[in-house]
Formats: sequence, structure tokens, C-alpha cells
Amino acid sequence: MSVPAARREAVPVRVRLDGIDRSLPVWAAAALALVLLMALPLGWLAYMSVSGETGPTLAHYRRALGDPALGKALWNTVVLAFWVGIASVAVGAPLAWLTARTDVPAKRLIQSLVLASFVTPPFLGAFAWVMLAGPNAGLLNKLWRALTGADDALLNIFSMPGLVFVVTIYTFPYVYIMIANTLALIASDLEEAAAILGAGRLMVALTVTLPMVAPAVVSGFILSVLQALALFGSPAILALPAGFHTITTQVWSLFQFPPKVELAAAVSIPLLLATALLLFVQKRLLGRRGYAAVGGKGAPRRIIPLGIWRYPALLACLAVMACAIFLPYGVLAKAAFSRAWAQPLTRDNLTLANVSFTFFEYSATRAAILNTLELGVMTACVGAGLVALLSYITSRKLVLGHQVVAFLALAPVVIPGVVLAVALFIAYTRPPLLLYGTLWILFVAYLTKEMPVGYAQADATFRSIPSELEDAGRILGAGRLRVLADITAPLARSGIIAAWCFIFIGVIRELSASIILFTPSTKVMSVVIFDLKEEGQFGAIAVLGLFMLAMTFATVVLVQALLGRDVLGSRQSANVAG
Amino acid sequence: MPGVTIKGLSKRYGDVAAVRGLDLQVKPGELVALLGPSGCGKTTTLRLVAGFLKPEAGEIWVGDRCLSSAASVIPPERRRMAMIFQSYALWPHMTVARNVAYGLRFNGVARAERDRRVRDMLRVVQLEGYGSRYPGELSGGQQQRVAVARALVVEPEILLLDEPLSNLDANLREEMRFEIRRLHETFGITTLYVTHDQAEAMVISDRVAVLQSGRVVQIGSAEELFDHPRTRFVAEFIGKTNLIDGTAEGPSTVARGRLRLQVAAGDLEPGAPVAISIRPHQIEMAPAEPAAPAALHANALTGTVRRASYLGDAVDYQVELEESGVILRVAGPTPPRAHVGERVSLRIAAAACVPLADSG
Repeated sequence: MSVPAARREAVPVRVRLDGIDRSLPVWAAAALALVLLMALPLGWLAYMSVSGETGPTLAHYRRALGDPALGKALWNTVVLAFWVGIASVAVGAPLAWLTARTDVPAKRLIQSLVLASFVTPPFLGAFAWVMLAGPNAGLLNKLWRALTGADDALLNIFSMPGLVFVVTIYTFPYVYIMIANTLALIASDLEEAAAILGAGRLMVALTVTLPMVAPAVVSGFILSVLQALALFGSPAILALPAGFHTITTQVWSLFQFPPKVELAAAVSIPLLLATALLLFVQKRLLGRRGYAAVGGKGAPRRIIPLGIWRYPALLACLAVMACAIFLPYGVLAKAAFSRAWAQPLTRDNLTLANVSFTFFEYSATRAAILNTLELGVMTACVGAGLVALLSYITSRKLVLGHQVVAFLALAPVVIPGVVLAVALFIAYTRPPLLLYGTLWILFVAYLTKEMPVGYAQADATFRSIPSELEDAGRILGAGRLRVLADITAPLARSGIIAAWCFIFIGVIRELSASIILFTPSTKVMSVVIFDLKEEGQFGAIAVLGLFMLAMTFATVVLVQALLGRDVLGSRQSANVAG
Repeated sequence: MPGVTIKGLSKRYGDVAAVRGLDLQVKPGELVALLGPSGCGKTTTLRLVAGFLKPEAGEIWVGDRCLSSAASVIPPERRRMAMIFQSYALWPHMTVARNVAYGLRFNGVARAERDRRVRDMLRVVQLEGYGSRYPGELSGGQQQRVAVARALVVEPEILLLDEPLSNLDANLREEMRFEIRRLHETFGITTLYVTHDQAEAMVISDRVAVLQSGRVVQIGSAEELFDHPRTRFVAEFIGKTNLIDGTAEGPSTVARGRLRLQVAAGDLEPGAPVAISIRPHQIEMAPAEPAAPAALHANALTGTVRRASYLGDAVDYQVELEESGVILRVAGPTPPRAHVGERVSLRIAAAACVPLADSG
């Protein structure tokens, strides 16, 4: 066996260096960055909620809980969240069953539309529905009046039912995903086994399929509730004009001049605990499968023929989609390209003025678009890099306490955007890191908020790469970093780019944290859309909204191409708060 | 060509001890199989030798270099070893040629020399002309050969194989056993081979080390292990066997009820419990002869056939002994000579009755 002499000699010298893995500082730094990212704001939030002029105090909590306005907002939130949960299950479960188990036509179309609803920023939907079902100028109400000659409006979107409706049409995909993926994992033979024993179709559904899907139904319900709890945009657009608050708009209003930061902190902590508890219950329900419940191979499935109900079923699906996609997108397009959105779309009314106004004339929108793109790209790049490192650490168990790293990376899922914003506001308006007033505080907010989605994607990527592939490189003479570059990185590339895209999509639509953290020079698109509403600039809102949607869909298409599969299948973790 | 010496090696995973004070010596150029059931610590041992894991105690030496100890572990990339994995671990994004050439990059081999050696090695594993394919385009057997080529081309001092054949179908597996043995005889690399398949271990290796609960319980050639198992575990794990628990009556006699057996030992302590192992094929069976004289050093027993299973190349009998009610399994030739319910006499050479060390 010929071994070069130089190699033989080198060994004893190197032995000492081997005590320390030279790649260790990289892993340690990434883990430390994560801890700081999480611990600093949450620590300040907790501290602020109990800090008084003369030492620790529970006064803020007493004030928060004793304030009748806050109590009312809390109750409204509970009502909203509960009904959104129920309605999302009522819409999402049948839809999932239809596409997963029956011969309903145009399945791909339905799935694509559910995905479209999933990625549509809820606040855009809320705007669109203001134009559709506002009591005075709403197009559907005008149509109703024209048809019936009635004086009263048919629909009033500025109401609790209206709010529940609008939140539900963009939240039911969570239920849909949970159930469709679970149904895909239940082999038909389990059902057939029951059928062979003499159970009728209904009996099989009730005794076999339903109990197996039940955890997914409940966990979809919980995810929807969480979504509704954390949402800021839709309540701000629909509830405030209707004269009521939810907890998120209440926290936001505590930041209007003069800011009552301690009170906001005291309201935030219970909200945080509530979401944490709900998510804990949801994880327990799914058992140890956790987020991975939706992985695995599709088992062979029997397709249930619907017979004469095929087309009525399709119509029902399309009716849901009309509410979530067709009507809102249509009215946004109409508003974008017309002089007066409420007037019929005649030749005189058609214009590109809104487009040029938004992109070229109005400095606020132009600056916001640039800010959003800058933040989107920056957060996605840093975030993708960070989640790649973190998930590599946890999947390969590189540092002591890697479980803590995994927990922290997923933990922001429980933090509603508003709460995160309060925490970041407190943490970064004081030394050592004075970030408030710069884009950096938004960057930190987005990075924290999108971490779980990116991490879940990156983690799935690394788990799909067996560590034996790396071991094989090591034993043949490549060091850890060399193996990372030659073997792991090329294999993980498309998965990490997908993580990049998920983070990017999350950032460009973010509203609930931005609305508290922005300053006049650091407005982003979502905040400007919110501002434009105050000015009644519906044309510019529509242009910005459609631009945001176009970027989102372009990114989604990119991800689908990269991963060669549905985004819905891979995006399992709940991105709480829209 | 160095050998491998493992002294007192221990490794825990949390509360579970995977390897517990394992000692093993592999001579230069020898192929030793680590054989044991799942969870016996054989793969952990291999990964410790490769340097992927750090031991809690013990040392691993290759020649005069100490590669692993509780204090320091030389990382895998500086061990001059090669490994073949159960999953083959071929890199799906590299062609066959690039897979095979990868290890040569770190050997200071010039590019032209590298290409030549890759070509030569692909010829050795009968994959000439496959260099530009990707692993995903190859069959399981071909992927296996690429993995072998990638490991051998770097001319490692030590070759490690982790159940390399377990993903192949039965026919191919048998073929590859001989192939691996042939390659070992060609290259003569000191080799550790992990498997749970006793036939595989016996065909491929010079010596087999049987592992149980993180220790080597017996090491020896296939014949030694089969004919002289030292413990109950080894006797049962390697081949089929009959185990009889009895008591020593004399230095070479074991009793159970009215059953007396002359055994292959001369130093039994009378009164001590003794377990003996008798291989089914070492029992001679004949129709019962009422007054058969016992031959010297042989045990003559009588019994009744309780079950006879025709297996094609042999017949598997279960015979209940009249002397004690013990049921012995006997492998007999075809066609079947005795039927269920028939009385038979059995002859067992004393040398075939092997007392086991862990009799208590």
C-alpha cells in the first residue's frame, strides 16, 4: 500500500489541532445569533410588563385586565377567533375531502386556487371586500339595489360577521392542508377493510375515516384560531370603521400618541401565552409527528365516485373560490385600471394613471416599494443562510443543546406579529442597539417572524440528505467544511432556495409588525396600502396590491419548479399572523 | 500494512451503553467480520474505528498510531481509511467517475494519474464505460460496485464495510460475497466487515468476531465458531443447535434425568450446572435397535419422532428422548427414513456435545 511519506509525517503534528473542530465557531456563532434574536426582545417585553417607577409591579397587568375597553377587545377577539375556526373547518374540511378522495372535476384548479388563497395577504382581501360589500359604495350592494330597487344594503362588511367571513376565506387553507395531507396518508385499505366487514359507505366514513382525520381537523381548527388571534390587517380595516377593537388593533392603538408601552407589554404577554398554549395543544394532538405529519408517501387511495353530485360539488368549490379569489382579484384589477373604481368599466373610465401614479409619481409608494424589495431580499438572504446553518446544526447534532436551537428557531411561530413588534420596539429603542427608525428593526422583525417557516423548510431539506453521504466524504479525506461545500451544499441548494422564497413571500406581505415599527422614512408596501386607505386612494392600493400578488405568485411558481412538488405539501408550519 | 488493535472500547448513547469494553485485534491484511444481532454495537464499533464517534473509554490503534482515545480522536479524514456504507452513500449529484475520483483529490495524486486509477478501478469492479453515468441511473448491484471502487481506489490502510450487501436481493448478495472476498484477496487490505448475516460473515471473512451487548463474546474462524461455540449465544446465533441444560456428573459426563451424555470436555466440576450444544446434523439417526451397544466415546439414545418436516435437501426431525423427555432436532438425509410416532435410536459423538461456558 503506497502512502505518500508527507502524509504519514503530518499526522502527529495535526493531532493537537484535532481537539477543536475548526468549524465549531461557525456553528456556535449561528446558535448564539439565534438566542440573541429571540431572547433580547422577549426578555425586554417581560421586563417592561412588570417594571414600575419604584421596582417590579403588577400594576400594568391590573390596568390591562381592569380596563373595560381592553376587556371588550379581548372578548371580540375570542368571538372572532372561535367563529373563524369553526367556519374554516366548515369550508376547508369538505374541500379537502372532495379533492383528496372523490372524482370532483378540475382538482388541479381547485388546489391551485386554495394555494392562491393561502398566499393572498388577508388585508388585501379585506380591502377588496370593502369595495365589494361596503354598505354604500360596495359593488355587490349596488348590484343588489339595481336588481331589487331596495334602498338598504344587502351586505355590510364592516361588522363582526363580515370580519369573520373575510378572515375565513384566507384562513381555511390551513384546515385544508392539514386534512388533505392526512387523508393522503390514510391508505384506502384501512377503509376497505371496514367495507369488507360489511360497513356501508357512510359507516366507513363515520367509524374509520373520520376518527383518523379528527386530530387533523382539530389541529386545523387551532391553527385557524391562532391565525385569527394574531391577525392585524383585516380587523384594522373592517372592525375599526365598525367601531370595535380586537386585541391586536388595541395593542396597535396603545402605540398611537402618547404611546403606552408598558400597557402594551402587559397585554402582549397573555396573548403570547395563549398562542403558545394553543400551539402546544395542536402539537400534542398530532403526536410526535409534529409538523412532519404531512410528510410521508401517499398510500394507494380509492376514489369515491360522486355521480350526479360531481358538478354541484365543483360549483360549491368554485363559489368558495369566487369569494376568496375571483371577486376580490377582479375588483382590485378594476380599481387599478379605472379612474373611479365604483363606476362601470367603460372606455372613459379605463386608465393607466393609477399605475404611473403609484410607481413613478407618488414618492411614498415608490419609496415603499424599494424598501419592501430591499428588506425582502435582505431578510431572505440572511434568513436563508441562517436557517440553513441552524437546521444543519440540529439535523447533524453539531453543538451541545441542539434541541434548544431547534426549539428557538420554531418558537417565533407562537409570537403574533403585533407582540413581536412591541417586544422589538422596547428592545431596540435603547442602547446598545438603537435600531428604531431604521430599516434594521424591520429587518430583525421579519427575520424573527419568518424564521420558523424557513427553518422548517431547511430542516426538511437536510433531513432528506442522509448524513452517510457526508460521512463517505469525510472518511475519504475531506474535512467537514470541504464536505459541506462539495456534497451537502449542492444537494441542499434547491431546498434552501425554497426557504429563501418562503421568507421573501412572508416579508413582502408583512403588516402586523410593520405597522408598529415603521417610521415615516421606513414605510413598506403593506403600511403604505394601509395609509392610502385613510386617503381614499383605492386605485393606488389596488396597483400596489396586485404588484404584491404578482411578486408572490412569481415566487411561488419558482418554488414549485425548484421542489418539483406542491407548495402546500411542504409548507406545513403555521405562519401565525398575516 | 498495519493491523487494528481495539482495547477496552466503550461508547454510550445517553443511558444506553452501545459498546462496553470491547477488545479486538485485527492482524495486518486480515478480514474480520463483526457479527451480531441488531443493537449489539457492531455498527457503533465500526463508526468508532472510522472516527465518526468519540469513545468514552478505550483506545483504537492502527499500527503504531493511536487514532482514538477518550482524550482525543483523529477525525475521519486523516485516518487513511475507506468505508463502504449500507446505503452505498453515493453522491447523487456526481457522476460515477467523480464519485470514484473524489478521495484521490486529498491524496496529492496528479490529475492524469487520478484519471488512470479511476479507469483501472472501474475495470476491476466491471463498470468500464459507466464513468459518465449518474448513480441514479445504475442498478443496486452497480451502485454497490461504485461504492466498492470509490473505497478501494484511494488504497486505504484500513477498509470498513457496514452491512454493504443488505440492500441487494438474495442472488446478487451471494454473488457479491464472493466478489468482495476476491477483491480482498487481490488487495489484501486490513478489513472490518459488519454484518448480521452469519452465512455472509462465514463466506467473506478470515475470522468472525461475534458481538453481544457491546462486547466480543467469541472470535475465531467459521469452523471454530461453529464446532466449538463458547457460549449459549454463539451456539444459537451461528447455525441451528440443540441446547440441553444438565448437571456435571464426572469430568466429561453430563446428566439430565436418566439421560447421560459423554461430552467434549475433561475438566467439568461434578455437581456444576452445564449446558451443552449439539448440532442437528451431528446426530446420527437409525431405526430403533433394542440392545445397541454403546460405542466408545459415543452416546446412544432412543426416542420417538414427534415431527418430521421435509425441507427438500434435508429432513428436520423433532425427536423426544425416552431418557429425559428432552426434544432434540435432528437433520437427516432425504428421503425421510422415519415417520412420526416411530421409535428411533440416536448416536452422538462425544466431540459433538460441546459444553458451554455460560452454563449457569
